[in-house]
Amino acid sequence: MNRFIWLVRRELWENRAIWTIPAFTAAALILATLFGRVQIEELTSVEQMRAASALVLIGFGAVFFGIMSVYSTWYLIDCLYTERKDRSILFWKSLPIADSASVLAKLCTALVAIPLVYLAATDAATLVIAFIVSVRARATLGGALFQPGLWLQLQALWMYGIAAAALWYLPLAGWLLVVSAWARRAATLWAVMPPLAVVLLEKAFLGSHAVADLLGDRIAGFYGVAFHANRGASGMVRLGDGADSIVAPASLWQLPDPGGFLSRPATWTGVLVGAALVYAAVQLRWRRVES
Amino acid sequence: MNTLIEARQLSKRYGSQVALDKVDFSVHAGRIVGLIGPNGAGKTSALRAVLGLTTYDGELAVLGREPFANRAELMLDASFIADVAVLPGWLKVDQAVDFTAAIHPRFRRERARELLAKARIAGNRRIRELSKGMKTQVHLALTMAIDARLLLLDEPTLGLDMLARRAFYDALVEDYMDETRTILITTHQVEEVENLLTDVLFIDRGRIVLDSTIEGLGARFSALEIPEQRLEAARALRPFHERRTLGKTVMYFENAPAAALAALGEARTPSVSDLFVAKLSGGVS
Repeated sequence: MNRFIWLVRRELWENRAIWTIPAFTAAALILATLFGRVQIEELTSVEQMRAASALVLIGFGAVFFGIMSVYSTWYLIDCLYTERKDRSILFWKSLPIADSASVLAKLCTALVAIPLVYLAATDAATLVIAFIVSVRARATLGGALFQPGLWLQLQALWMYGIAAAALWYLPLAGWLLVVSAWARRAATLWAVMPPLAVVLLEKAFLGSHAVADLLGDRIAGFYGVAFHANRGASGMVRLGDGADSIVAPASLWQLPDPGGFLSRPATWTGVLVGAALVYAAVQLRWRRVES
Repeated sequence: MNTLIEARQLSKRYGSQVALDKVDFSVHAGRIVGLIGPNGAGKTSALRAVLGLTTYDGELAVLGREPFANRAELMLDASFIADVAVLPGWLKVDQAVDFTAAIHPRFRRERARELLAKARIAGNRRIRELSKGMKTQVHLALTMAIDARLLLLDEPTLGLDMLARRAFYDALVEDYMDETRTILITTHQVEEVENLLTDVLFIDRGRIVLDSTIEGLGARFSALEIPEQRLEAARALRPFHERRTLGKTVMYFENAPAAALAALGEARTPSVSDLFVAKLSGGVS
C-alpha cells in the first residue's frame, strides 16, 4: 500500500499542473471577488440566506471541478503515452513495479488524487472568498458564507460527488488509458476519432443515434444520475421575484441521490466496461515497448 | 557453475523481420559478458527478452524465472540501464533517490548519496538540466546502489563523449565490480569494454557467431602477419579473415595447428576488437 502511495506521489511530481492550475484558478477567483462587482438581491429570511450561500459555494466549486474535468481528460490521454515517447518507461520498468500497479496508480491519480487536490483548492479559495464577501457585502450577506453546518454539508456533498464520478467516469477513464497505452502518435486524435467515427457511421447507415446518446449521457449526464434533479419540488427556496428568480435547495442533504445512482444499471455496466478497459490498458503497457 | 541466464533457441521476430534466430547462450555467475554486434544485429532484442520487456519464442530463464511473465519480481534481483536518455527530464535527483528507495527493497540510499556526491551531482537538480554524462552518472549511481545479482547494460554510453564514457566505465569498475557481480553488457563499441570482459558473445544478423571466454580466445584464435612469399602457404591453412593494410597482410586463423602457424611467422592472440572485425567482415578486407 505504501508503495502504491509512492506511485501516486510520483504522478504529482511529474504533473505539476495538478497543483498549479487549481492554484491559478483560486487566485483568479479571489481577485475577481476582491475587485469585481458584487450584487446581491435583498434576502429576507434565514432560509433564503442559507440557500443563496449554498448556491454561491456550489458555484465556485463547479468552476474548479469543471476545469478539473478538462485537465483530467488530458492527463489520462498523456500519462501512458509520454513515458513511451520520452522512453522513460524503460527506467520505470527497470524497477520492481508491476504494470498493473503502474496503470492503477495513474487511474487513481485521475479519479481520486486530482479531485482531492481540487477539493482542497476549492475549500481554500472559498474560505478566502467568504471572508472577502462578508466584508464587501456586509449589509446583505454578512457572514452567511461562514456557516459551519453548511460547510460540513458541502464537504460531504463534494466527497459524494467525487466517489460517484469515479464510478460513473470509469469507462471514459479506461478508454483514455487504452488510447494512451496504444497510440504511437496523436493520442488525442485517437481518443476522439474512433467514437466519433462510430457515431457518424451509425447515423449514415442506420439513421439512428443510439451510440451518440449513450456517449452523451455518459459525458454530460453525471449530474442527472448522481443527484436529485427535481427542482421546484418541496424543500426548495425561491430567491428573488418574477422572471429572474431562481430556486435553491433549502438543505444540501436533499441533493445527493446515492440510492438512485447505485441502483441504476448504467452505473454498473459502466463500471464493468471500465474495468475491462483498464485491464486492456494494463495488458498494453505490459506488452508494448517500442525501441 | 551457477547459471543466471539460460537461452535455448531464443527467437524474436517483428513481422517478417527476424531479429533473433534460434540463439543459444548462457551467462554464469561472476562473469562479465559482452554481447557485441553491429547495429541491428539483435543485441537489444536479446536484452529486451532477458529483461522481460518483450515476448519471444524459445526458452529463456533469467535467475530461474521466465522473464516476460515475471518482470517485476525479476527486477528485485536484476537491474538495468538502457542508453542514457531514459531518466525522465522532470525528475529531480533527490526524487529519484527517494522514489527508488521507497520502491526497491534492495536499494541502499546512503550508497546512492555517496556515489552522487563523488560525481558532484546536487540533489535539487532536475535530470533535464544535467549533461548527458551526468545523467548517466545519476543512473549508474541509482543502479549501483541496488544489491542486484545481475546487472544488464544496453549500450550504456551511447551518445556520450570520450570523457563521459571513460568516467562511466571507471565508476563501474571501481565502485561496482567484484566477484559476486554478474554483468551482461551490449555494445557495438568493442574497444571501450574489451579490458573489462571475461566472456564475449558476438552476434550478427540474429545469430551468435562467437561464444567464448577471454582466456579461451588464445587457444582458439591466432593472428599472423604473413610475409609476401608465404601468402599461398598461409592461405592453405584456411584463415577466416585476411586483411591488407600498409602493404602488410594479416591473417586470422581459428583452431589452426600451432606448428604449422609457427612455420609462417610469429602468431599472437588477436584483440577482441580485431577479432570482432575479422569475424564479422569475413573473407578478405
